Amino acid sequence: MTAIAVDWTRCDGHGLCARLLPEKIGLDEWGYPLVLDPEIEPHLVGAARRAAAACPALALRVR
Amino acid sequence: MTVTDPVATAPSHPFGAPRLLAGVAAHRALTWAEHRAVHGVPALRPRAWLLESLRAVNLLGRGGAAFPVAVKLEAMPLGGPMTVLVNGSEGEPASCKDRALMTVAPHLVIDGALVVTHALGATGATIAVHDHRAHAALAAALAERPDAAAVTLALTRAGFAGGEIRAVVNGLTTGLARPGGRRDLPHDRGLDGRPTFASNVETFAQIAVLARLGAAGYAETGTRDEPGTSLVTLVGDVVQAGVLEVANGTPLDALLPGRPGAPVLVGGFHGTWVRSTAGLTIDRAALRASGAPLGAGVIARPHPGTCVLAEVAAVSQWLAEESAGQCGPCFFGLPALAEDVRAFAAGQGSEAQLLRRASQVRGRGACAHPDGAVQFMTSALVALADDIEVHRAHGTCGRPPSSILAIPRRTS
Repeated sequence: MTAIAVDWTRCDGHGLCARLLPEKIGLDEWGYPLVLDPEIEPHLVGAARRAAAACPALALRVR
Repeated sequence: MTVTDPVATAPSHPFGAPRLLAGVAAHRALTWAEHRAVHGVPALRPRAWLLESLRAVNLLGRGGAAFPVAVKLEAMPLGGPMTVLVNGSEGEPASCKDRALMTVAPHLVIDGALVVTHALGATGATIAVHDHRAHAALAAALAERPDAAAVTLALTRAGFAGGEIRAVVNGLTTGLARPGGRRDLPHDRGLDGRPTFASNVETFAQIAVLARLGAAGYAETGTRDEPGTSLVTLVGDVVQAGVLEVANGTPLDALLPGRPGAPVLVGGFHGTWVRSTAGLTIDRAALRASGAPLGAGVIARPHPGTCVLAEVAAVSQWLAEESAGQCGPCFFGLPALAEDVRAFAAGQGSEAQLLRRASQVRGRGACAHPDGAVQFMTSALVALADDIEVHRAHGTCGRPPSSILAIPRRTS
């Protein structure tokens, strides 16, 4: 199963991941990603990879 | 708080005969001759012997996480270059036990480092310490003995997150004492990128004692599940303030005579406030199961007639400022939470808001600092519920602030 993880030392709270993968990522009151569920089902793997590639801080990892 | 706190050496040993602090009478280091009279020369054992003995006595790491030492040792590779890191950074501000141990029994720490270095066939051991007195005691001890050429001493930067093992590794390797974003564990990638067996100074002293006594001898004190002794730092209204070595299984109530139901902090600045210690003992698994892990061994009880809520607010503020600033949820979340706690002390505050914010910080950082700080704040909310009601009704409780937890001065 594919899973996502945030590298908190890199994340700057740009929030793009929450826009590109709203099924799995929300934002907290300070604009940082709240991973609602780290497990990525097959139909969301493409969106998860796009979200990771779009992160300006390279803080979202897909494994 | 400094290492000048008394190392308690009551001759009657009401909490069991000391082992790590055996022979310590004055507040100075045992010389190598004195140390050998008590402990002999280090008992160097093969890896398999040490691993089996660590398993038999269920030795748990003494830095705070209580990770099984046998599991850590087993994770080390069977050959190739590797190293040993003795963490004497003692990041927990309320704890003095590591500094006390290094200052009065430096040779036992060195013995432990030599035992592990030998068992693993490691190239050497590094003892990382930030306290100048402890550093001086270890340096003098190393200069005194001919068998410790493989042991080097490193002076590190102080700081709470800076004492976390991966931060110490980063500090020694890159000069920047901060935990990394990737969850690299020292046994894979430690000092200079090499596999590293890293643990707390007390763990190494316990290993030295275990190597000498063997598992059966080691298990003659303590409990069945956790044999041996523990160093604890007792703070505030306690049986004896300072560092004490107690047999595992010692009831907390014996360390906290009288005043049942008074708030007690177990574990320190990353610890848990509880309202009842009845039935709790120095037993890491049982304390964890009760929701109040022993952490680095701090047990603190504010003095009667003081405002604990005020002290909780002050410590929360410090915890927020101590964020290394790497991770957003910690950097923004802890100050917001500290402000929530301050509001309770001012007779206001929203429990729902604090709990919601706590859930947004917990588990969302590169190290354990945000989780520990959240535990301190949220447990206080429960344990001090009566006080919070009094503050809400009157805006104050009219008592002077408690101040048993010395908040460290900012170093950077």
